[in-house]
Amino acid sequence: MVGKDCVAIACDLRLGLQALTVSNNFPKIFQYGDNVFLGLTGLATDLSTVSDLFRYKVNMYRLREERNIAPKTFANLVSSSLYEKRFGPYFVSPVVAGLDPKTSKPFICGFDSIGCIDFAADFIVSGTATDQLYGMCESLWEPNLAPEDLFETISQALMSAVDRDALSGWGAHVYIIEKDKVTKRLLKGRQD
Amino acid sequence: MAMFSQNPLMNGPNYSFGDAPKIGAPEGAREHRFDPYTDNGGSTLAIAGADFAIMAGDTRLTSGYSINSRHHPKVFKIGGTTADQHDATIVLSVVGFAADGEALKERLDSICKMYRYRHGKPMNVKACAQRLSTILYQKRFFPYYAYAILGGLDEEGKGAVYSYDPVGSYEREQCRAGGAAASLIMPFLDNQVNFKNQYVPGSGEGHALQERERRPLSRNEVEILVKDAFDGAVERHIEVGDGLQMMVITSNGVEEILLPLKKD
Repeated sequence: MVGKDCVAIACDLRLGLQALTVSNNFPKIFQYGDNVFLGLTGLATDLSTVSDLFRYKVNMYRLREERNIAPKTFANLVSSSLYEKRFGPYFVSPVVAGLDPKTSKPFICGFDSIGCIDFAADFIVSGTATDQLYGMCESLWEPNLAPEDLFETISQALMSAVDRDALSGWGAHVYIIEKDKVTKRLLKGRQD
Repeated sequence: MAMFSQNPLMNGPNYSFGDAPKIGAPEGAREHRFDPYTDNGGSTLAIAGADFAIMAGDTRLTSGYSINSRHHPKVFKIGGTTADQHDATIVLSVVGFAADGEALKERLDSICKMYRYRHGKPMNVKACAQRLSTILYQKRFFPYYAYAILGGLDEEGKGAVYSYDPVGSYEREQCRAGGAAASLIMPFLDNQVNFKNQYVPGSGEGHALQERERRPLSRNEVEILVKDAFDGAVERHIEVGDGLQMMVITSNGVEEILLPLKKD
């Protein structure tokens, strides 16, 4: 979710096999550099494969270029890496959030499982509670939210959405990314 | 062109009584089918207040990717003395298969009218709600494909909303969204009508937090919530749009409001 000079990214903590809950502490957000974040939903084994693959690729980028990767560059890296597996895709639908290292402009985007990028100016959602999240974000979000207001908005949107989805929930992680500060908060949420 | 269309209605025969031979079927073989149901899309919403209830629905009628009508109401006044329903006190909204919805409305309306004729008084919402459940369950094995919501004022004058599944299972609630965009609207209602996930700031940590106290919403607040809920749904659901029909039920009767929604 985009705010004024800040972005937010959040995830729930449930890991399940259909209706069976396997874990209630399974974060889905990964950090690559100071202000580049990746959220992943989908098949758990692909989640760890993909997140590790990007850690490797981003580290290689950093060694070669001697600088951190920018969110926009990272988005294109995600896209091309996913399209490489066009006919045997990773079952993930990623979202990227971050601030541009030069201009500090907020950047968010989402992908399908074969790397088609969805650039958005407001918010990106992904996962089993997609419908609910679209409904919440579409009605709660407004332009130019300050960091604290953005935190409240993304948290209310996520919590209310996952409470209407049987396959999501068990608490949440929320990151608020500002120019020189990243705040991570843990939300308790309903435990059922 | 029709064969390349993604519209399910334009692929194959354009009618619901299919009798065309199946592709790849042996020579001379015919499959006879009867598809009695269509999903006509759209969404409905009902919220009960302290001394009023609001029933709302969009007015778009779709089949597949086609828009068949931009003004087809799904919210109806029930049980008035005349055909124009000017003195009705109960409102029914139906979403799903429009023809079944219409049939259900006609059936409930005539039952309410018969009740008035026989008993010399109008039916109250509680009785009407139970009767609607019976009507739906009577067709348990060939159901009305309609998600109904019934709204009115109870014996104490408080707003009452009853929601149903297609076979008559029902419950009285504060608020309910139905139809195509129900999954988009319902969590918004939890949050804004029942204040779910809202806590008193600084009242504790984790599960010790104190829930924000519930407060009955004013009519004006509810009307704004309904409009916001539909504006959100229109943005992300292709079957919802064109117009917003609202019925406000108060002790003075039923007031109908029509507002525009995006037509794209």
